[in-house]
Amino acid sequence: MDTLNWNELDRIPIPEGLEERLEAKIDEWEKEEEQRTKRRSLMPKVLRYTAIAASIAVVFGVGYHFIDSGEPVNLGQQDTYQDPILAQQEAERALNLLAVNLNKGMTQMEKARAISERTEITLNKQLSVLQ
Amino acid sequence: MKAIVIKIMICVAMLMSGIQANAQVKEFEKYADAKNVTYVYVSKFMLQMAGKAAAPSLPGMNTKSLMGKLTGIQIITSEDKSAATRLKNDTQAIVKQGKYELLMQVDEDEQKVRIYHREGKKQSAVVMLTDEEDEVAVIVFSGTFSFDDVMKMTK
Repeated sequence: MDTLNWNELDRIPIPEGLEERLEAKIDEWEKEEEQRTKRRSLMPKVLRYTAIAASIAVVFGVGYHFIDSGEPVNLGQQDTYQDPILAQQEAERALNLLAVNLNKGMTQMEKARAISERTEITLNKQLSVLQ
Repeated sequence: MKAIVIKIMICVAMLMSGIQANAQVKEFEKYADAKNVTYVYVSKFMLQMAGKAAAPSLPGMNTKSLMGKLTGIQIITSEDKSAATRLKNDTQAIVKQGKYELLMQVDEDEQKVRIYHREGKKQSAVVMLTDEEDEVAVIVFSGTFSFDDVMKMTK
């Protein structure tokens, strides 16, 4: 039966250009398959980077939440006065104190400069008398 | 894609560093809950509110120019002998470690005043240490001001 079939098949004429068409079709399928695999391999890359970015965001978020809630409230960073007028009075008082002390120092410097100038004048006078 | 991830990481890092930024000298914050010590903190927000009200300064003294450039004032005082000594020594150590420069020294009969200054790109500070017989007071001015801004307060 098989021998008969083969013989029959051999007798059937092969249409012209069938082989080339088949080859072209196979090549086309191969190309399509390649593109599909490329697309498949690209997707995991995108997912991988997204997962990394999401993990970093989660780690920072959770970490900051724990740091923020775990630490006791820093009293040093809390305003002492809730009333702006009182805060203003305290700030003015502090600044005036600084200004007063700076001026005290400057006054002493001015006095020292005046004494130094007077001494220089007297010394120059004495030197000119001697000459 | 890598560039985007790097950009995200840089943004997160910048945000985290911003959270840690401070408007005052951190070394003095510990006195907020110290025993026998009074700690007063006036924030930038309150200073801005005060600036709007614009109270007159002492005659001949210009405090308004510096007021506008301050980001915080810390006032620490103590009348307790041991706490006052600790505060004084600690201030001198902070000033030494922070490489502050001695701006002025006024020694009177019952009062010794030291004014230190440190100028930085991000934050400048003036520390005034007043040592009296019965009290030690430290006033810390923080902000973005220069040496000239401080000296403008003198007549």
